[in-house]
Amino acid sequence: MRVVLGCAMSIWLAACQPDDAYQFASDVEVEGDAIVRSLEGKAGNAERGLTVFTDRDQGHCVLCHAIEGLDVEFQGDVGPPLTHLGDRLTEGQIRMRIAGAQKIWPETVMPSYYRKHGLNRVGREYLGEPALSAQQIEDLVAYLSSPKA
Amino acid sequence: MKWLAPVITVFTLAAACAPAPTADETREKLPASDLTSGYKFLQADTQALQDDDFANPGFLWVDRGRALFAAAPQQSKACAACHGEDGAELKGAAAHYPSVDETTGKLTNIEGRINLCRTRHQGLEPLDYETDDLLSLTAFVSHLSRGEPVKVDVSGPAEVWYRRGEDYFFTRRGQYNLACNQCHNDNWGRQLRGDTISQGHGTAFPGYRFEWQSLGSLQRRLRDCDAGVRAEPLAYGSDDYLAVELYLAKRAEGLPIEVPGVRR
Amino acid sequence: MSIRISAPDTASKNEVIELKALIQHPMETGYRRNNRGEIIERDIITTFECTYDGDTVFQARFHPGIAANPFLTFYTRATKSGTLEFRWTDQNGQSWAETHSLTVK
Repeated sequence: MRVVLGCAMSIWLAACQPDDAYQFASDVEVEGDAIVRSLEGKAGNAERGLTVFTDRDQGHCVLCHAIEGLDVEFQGDVGPPLTHLGDRLTEGQIRMRIAGAQKIWPETVMPSYYRKHGLNRVGREYLGEPALSAQQIEDLVAYLSSPKA
Repeated sequence: MKWLAPVITVFTLAAACAPAPTADETREKLPASDLTSGYKFLQADTQALQDDDFANPGFLWVDRGRALFAAAPQQSKACAACHGEDGAELKGAAAHYPSVDETTGKLTNIEGRINLCRTRHQGLEPLDYETDDLLSLTAFVSHLSRGEPVKVDVSGPAEVWYRRGEDYFFTRRGQYNLACNQCHNDNWGRQLRGDTISQGHGTAFPGYRFEWQSLGSLQRRLRDCDAGVRAEPLAYGSDDYLAVELYLAKRAEGLPIEVPGVRR
Repeated sequence: MSIRISAPDTASKNEVIELKALIQHPMETGYRRNNRGEIIERDIITTFECTYDGDTVFQARFHPGIAANPFLTFYTRATKSGTLEFRWTDQNGQSWAETHSLTVK
């Protein structure tokens, strides 16, 4: 009886991973409101990041966010403007806000683009993958921290 | 009794590991004074098209619905036989839908009511959502209430449906993990690129959407909403969508029916 | 096929009248793909013609760029009482038409 219960407890403990691993698409270390290390060790490219930011089929961040000087028609204002974001936030903070904003602010409208688990009724074509890949997020971080943004 | 301690520990751990609730517990409503139709968020050209009783493409379905309403199908009677020529007795009726059907005890929208009439009183097969015939009949019947303020009953048997719709409205879903209220209560009036977020009322539906290049039902629009947050859309006629229709109607109470509406 | 025509019933001789014609049609371009990635076949109206007592007063060729449920507004001069016919023909030769009687004083 005790062995059975011991096994049951181990199974429960294994299933209840700490919140970070449970949510993200890969192992991520959160320090305060930042993810200090790059996701999956990828190196970001600012030029690609600009494309991820504006492309309808990628991040399409411009749907909700505006950047002054960005040569793109109709930029959204649901989220705050991201002009010169690198002046206000570290790369790690920017990374966290894209990958898992809901961990910092549970009520936010900002989707968590690197989240894979604990979601409700994800569309079948999107199941199993986060909304953005680690590379796309690193590219965004590079672009948003650069002086060009 | 020594086995009790590990059992309690397991259950405590299990409770601690339960996923956080996704519904917004505060559930603040839209202030009545703020109620604004989606019409107000359209460009002037689009508003003019909705207002043009000739050019509004939705009337292609209203016209067709009017013809179907008057025609007696084989070995059966026409809708007009019970409901009056040109639907005279149905004027204003659509503003009080969805409502609970007395016989089935189920919440019923206009599409459902039309199908109940067909099967119960006309000996006809029900029509599928988004078929030209069902869209046309729904558009025609709803159009008979154009200008009428929405007013629905959410008491008695309707209450459980209303609560269900409210739950759906405030529950996050999809890969983007968004709930309806987050855009349509909290961020209406803000820009998603060139589009202004509306309050998400259903008063213009069935309506003509440019994206569809066709008239479509409110449930079609709800499926698009779910797809928009990268959630798996539910089947047409699902109980959840019916419940949401009632919740939206109560939420829009006082706004006039605009069918056939024109939207993006 | 649902059709709507807007035309005056009466007009003065030589008055310029406005005519509007709207037809329900998907105008499927032939460039879109379905969920399985297969091309949705082209299905479009290819010509529109308005005749006034048999004489052509307006003609149009439609291509895939024309939106669904196409809407036309055009003008003609009211010369004599007669019948206006509005006719749409699709890529397969199927056509739909409606007529309108005009009385010219």
